[in-house]
Amino acid sequence: MNFPVRLAFRHVFSNKTRNGLTILAITIAVFLLCFLLAVVRGIDAGVRSASSTRLVTQSAVSLFVTLPMSYRPKIDAQEAVTVTSEFRWFGGYYQDPSNFFPQFAVNKDRFVDMYVKDFEIIEGPNGITGPGAREAVKKAFATEKRAAIIGMGLRDDEKYNFKIGDTVPIIPAIYQRADGGAWDYVIVGIFKPLKARIPDKIMYFRSDYLNDSIESGEAFGEVAAGVYYVNIDQGSQSEMIATSIDQDFLNGPQRTQTVTEAAFASFFVSAIGNLPLFLGTVGGAVLFSIFFSVVNAMLIAGRQRLKEAGILQALGFPPITSCLLLIIEGLAVALIGGALGLALAIGTQDLVVLNFGDSIRNYEIDSGLILLAIGTSSVLGITAGLCAGIPFLRYRPTEALRSMG
Amino acid sequence: MSQDSYIQLKSVSKKYSRGGEDLIVLDQLDLNIPDGDYAALMGPSGSGKTTILNLVGGLDVPDSGTVTVAETEVSSIPTRQLPAWRARHVGFVFQSFNLLPVLTAHENVMLPLQLTPLSAAERKKQADFALEIVGLSDRAGHRPSQLSGGQEQRVAIARAIATDPDVIIADEPTGDLDRNSADEILELLNRLNEELGKTILMVTHDPAAASNARRILKLDKGHLVSDEINRQASGQTQGEA
Repeated sequence: MNFPVRLAFRHVFSNKTRNGLTILAITIAVFLLCFLLAVVRGIDAGVRSASSTRLVTQSAVSLFVTLPMSYRPKIDAQEAVTVTSEFRWFGGYYQDPSNFFPQFAVNKDRFVDMYVKDFEIIEGPNGITGPGAREAVKKAFATEKRAAIIGMGLRDDEKYNFKIGDTVPIIPAIYQRADGGAWDYVIVGIFKPLKARIPDKIMYFRSDYLNDSIESGEAFGEVAAGVYYVNIDQGSQSEMIATSIDQDFLNGPQRTQTVTEAAFASFFVSAIGNLPLFLGTVGGAVLFSIFFSVVNAMLIAGRQRLKEAGILQALGFPPITSCLLLIIEGLAVALIGGALGLALAIGTQDLVVLNFGDSIRNYEIDSGLILLAIGTSSVLGITAGLCAGIPFLRYRPTEALRSMG
Repeated sequence: MSQDSYIQLKSVSKKYSRGGEDLIVLDQLDLNIPDGDYAALMGPSGSGKTTILNLVGGLDVPDSGTVTVAETEVSSIPTRQLPAWRARHVGFVFQSFNLLPVLTAHENVMLPLQLTPLSAAERKKQADFALEIVGLSDRAGHRPSQLSGGQEQRVAIARAIATDPDVIIADEPTGDLDRNSADEILELLNRLNEELGKTILMVTHDPAAASNARRILKLDKGHLVSDEINRQASGQTQGEA
């Protein structure tokens, strides 16, 4: 190791309390930066992964106002529309309210075809896997009225551990059964999401199971669709098709508002305020305040090194050497802190996913974030070192030697 | 420059501003020190002793006059080039040793050698040799805090001679030491002068320390008031005011 680096590292480890606290501050700041940006990226990933060839038709009044079931064939009949399926939020839970995961009622004949590019069926009835699984699941979904297709997370999570053929009771929060019991679903397919927007702990079941039960008086509620998901031809004009769909229903019974899937996904993000901006601001503010504390620590280090700067100059080292030593020291402190913060963020990744996975989907400390953390730490350290080191360029050796530092 | 002058100050003046007032430290000073001499600079505080060391060592520049060391006019070397000149020609020994506390004795001695074109192995060899000269080879791996004051000063002397400079400038080298340690340091400086032929310019308040030098220069208020050959050290007497 050459002289300036070795001397700078000796200084890093010579003042353990000050540099230890500075490293701790940077560790926390970088961890928070990674955590918050991973959350923001997770939210953004959902929006970004939305299909460009899919529209969502909802009530023009509100997302909470349902649409008639009769709308699906009319939407299906639109030019350039390939597949349409109703989606309806069920909102139940498995055994205990804490065991919540999203459930949607979907069209039995259309749903599997709609999500060809969005998820891969990895397991079907009778243990079938591979390319034939999708067709087998499609057939089983169309045949068994209580059929349900689940994400692989519900299979892999020990809390659920659902398997093909299992009958899963879901306790309703909205659509109560007349007998007060749970809704039973039979697992016929397990899929692996291919898009960030789709969680792996989710269940899709047949809408006719829900609607027929309501119609027959076995359950309470309204026969309706929440929204319609509409696949359109690649290259077609989504805005024109959306306008055309909405015009079809101008005279009711419910007016519709059709938007792209990305716009629909954005709606949920904006519904809780501008969360990415808020989280980004918090992260930036933390980083900014830590920056000042690091600069302050390096300025103190600089004052203590003034005499050393004089000695080095007397020995023949140019003034830039002392400046460089402080930059290396600042960089070393910041990179150690940054590495620890990054390690903490990566180390707690599974823990975060385990505890907040349903609320923070796609949480991942990826290579982009790692590079960002390293880059931010480096800039922080170099800037702090420069702030402390630049005054050294002005000191004459006799001044520096007289100092008490 | 007179024929045998190795260090020459010619009409050198230096003043400092203190509290808005100019304080004249050196006033038209002339000084000649031959090659291989060992001179002690004495005088009351503020008489300009350390200023002379700083000017000769290229740590400061005069307001007027010229400072020449080994036929190089130091006072005309651009500020940027002064560090490189110092590294080649001057070795400093300070009163408070000024070793870097985070480095070992050996690493401290290696410091000025970093500026030489020597290979790493040659630098190490040179540092080992310098520590051997000052009798501290067995303490090479110790940090300054693990050494006595006398040992610290010997390491500082090893650092000063590591690059084999022309001139050794010592500012109160025994000021912070007890008598025994001070005597060891003075003995060491004598050896450097006599055996290695180093030109030494030493500032001291201690008459006992000055008595080791071949020549004793006395300053007062920026003027040289006495320049005596030390009979005890050189075996001959020649005085002039």
